[in-house]
Amino acid sequence: MESIIRILKRFIIATIAISIFLLIFNFILLGVWIFKGMNQGQSPSAVVQNVAKGLHVSFDAYSLNSSAEDMLKQNHAWAMLIDNNGHVVWDYMLPDDLPKTYSLTDVSKFTRNYLMDYPVFVWEHDEGVVVVGYPKGSLAKYQHILPTSWISSFPLRIASLLVVNIVLALLLSLIIGSRLIRSIRPLTQGIQDLAEDKEVYIEPKGILSNLAQSVNGASILLQQKSNSLKSRDEARLNWIAVISHDIRTPLSMVLGYASELEENNYLTAEQRSQAGIIRQQAEKLKFLVNDLNLVSKLEYEMQPLDKKPIRLSVLARQIVSEFINNGLDERFILEIESLDENIQVNADERLLIRAITNLIQNSINHNPDGCQILLQTSFNESNDTCSFTVTDNGKGISHNELTDLLELPYSSKRKQPSKNGHGLGLPMVARIARAHQGLLMISSDIGKGFSAEIVLPSIISDQKIKG
Amino acid sequence: MDDLKSKKLLIVDDEREIRTMIESFLRKEGFTRIYQASGCAETLEICRSIKPDIAILDVMLPDGDGFSLLTSLRQISDMPVLFLSARGEDEDRLLGLGLGADDYIVKPFLPRELILRLTAILRRVYLPPKREQLPVFNLGERIIDLEGGVVQNDSTEYSLTAKEHALLLKLYENKNRIVTSDALCQATWGDDYYGYENTLMVHIRRIREKIENNPSSPEYLLTIRGLGYKLMVKEG
Repeated sequence: MESIIRILKRFIIATIAISIFLLIFNFILLGVWIFKGMNQGQSPSAVVQNVAKGLHVSFDAYSLNSSAEDMLKQNHAWAMLIDNNGHVVWDYMLPDDLPKTYSLTDVSKFTRNYLMDYPVFVWEHDEGVVVVGYPKGSLAKYQHILPTSWISSFPLRIASLLVVNIVLALLLSLIIGSRLIRSIRPLTQGIQDLAEDKEVYIEPKGILSNLAQSVNGASILLQQKSNSLKSRDEARLNWIAVISHDIRTPLSMVLGYASELEENNYLTAEQRSQAGIIRQQAEKLKFLVNDLNLVSKLEYEMQPLDKKPIRLSVLARQIVSEFINNGLDERFILEIESLDENIQVNADERLLIRAITNLIQNSINHNPDGCQILLQTSFNESNDTCSFTVTDNGKGISHNELTDLLELPYSSKRKQPSKNGHGLGLPMVARIARAHQGLLMISSDIGKGFSAEIVLPSIISDQKIKG
Repeated sequence: MDDLKSKKLLIVDDEREIRTMIESFLRKEGFTRIYQASGCAETLEICRSIKPDIAILDVMLPDGDGFSLLTSLRQISDMPVLFLSARGEDEDRLLGLGLGADDYIVKPFLPRELILRLTAILRRVYLPPKREQLPVFNLGERIIDLEGGVVQNDSTEYSLTAKEHALLLKLYENKNRIVTSDALCQATWGDDYYGYENTLMVHIRRIREKIENNPSSPEYLLTIRGLGYKLMVKEG
């Protein structure tokens, strides 16, 4: 909307500038033309003046000097001198059809108009009046008679003419501009919608119908592409869902019979422990299938999130207690460091627990000789995020293998296949963080331990006010 | 208890091997009247003729889904139902429980878990309800009587306040396991640990004065630094 007003403003300013320029230009041009037309060749009044000046009387004989004569010749004009009695006393090239005497009435008539259709001009002379006549039809004579009030208000009229012109230009530009905007608005709206990945249809009409059709075409194309992408994602997701579903039934049988055998007292201890191994592996497979399903759902943004405010310190205590209660091997020391009780996030509790548990389990799995695992929460005031960090002081991993860890196993982005574990763990944690508009950062080097930090947007703690 | 073993059980699953496996587990547990069905129509028929006391339902069946089967079952029977499904999504679980199922187990499952949950449902539904007795247990020479709300030493008797009682109950329910301060505060005050740190500490000290021989170096109610507390109870 803002851009539309801006366009309209610029359009009006430009139109008015153009109109003013045209107006001034036309005025100047008109002035120049009239001025030029009046001064084309010798103006009749100049000719008649010259003739009057160049006509000399000496001893009753008239003589016209050569310059005046040339002037008459150039204009194909004739001339005569009428004395105070109305007689033609001198003439030059006077047409034969003209009378030789004129009454006062005749003189006053042709002074204003024509003498027998000849445009004539009159000038006074010592001996009477000099009349210069031009060929018939060569000149038009106009009398301009204007009231003085008209002349005195002339500047005002010019000014008001200018004002009226400007107002007219403004109005016209407003009308044209708004019509243009009206035809542009659906287009701009459509393009904005396109940018937001919405479906767009603009009725193609008016001068911009071509553009509207292209925008519609682009929208259809985008929609088709996103649909095909979506259907492909869905197909993959379904495929994984179906596989993980179909694995569950046979897995039930393996798990069921293996755990029955494990508890069967008729079997030898060795056979029972072998059945136990089958059961453990089947359970591993079960968790793997669950992870796979979750990762693929997160990957295609199909995992529904049950978000609620969660205090990270509470979560940390709960997870650590759970690990210790479930018999954490004494080679591992699991600790919580100086928690900020205020930090809260809006998150799916089960997923967040799964992510953090996974990080701790990673540290345990990759350091069979034992290590110290430290849980920290911190708040970053600069961007209102908070971090949940799991750090161990174990053997770590080389720096250039780090980026591989966040890619899915067997993905083309992964340089080397995963070495231990199924390799889904860290990608899953990263995707859980991403599903919460957060991210996972990992750092490590050989012999320097491993550190994973889940960064999440934090929410303002209402307890802060209370406490 | 033997009463429960004579209940009529119905297993509904489209996979014959799964039905056979579950039946063998149940027989081993002492259940004798076990029926099988492989689809919705068969299930409804058995329900009309045999009237089983409990059903284990699969969700994906060849002639319909378990959810709608449950809905139609409800018109002829009020028996408890346990879903056993390969569909483990939250939505499915909530849908099943929302329809009035008594439990929802996701495949793959451990047979022991299935049997424990099944008998729990049977006991809840078919055994006469008895008033829940609160535990009475020993800590050294002292008897902690949560039913009576007192701690008895051979010479003296301390009564427990409501909050002390609630804390001890929560700790006893999770005996020999760490209970986080958050869980304790949630159980006692229904609120987060945040803001209750000092209150909790005061209450724990008072409990120790009643149950410990030497409250300043406790041997039963232990502090787990940074996490919470743990009540050490010797079994038996």
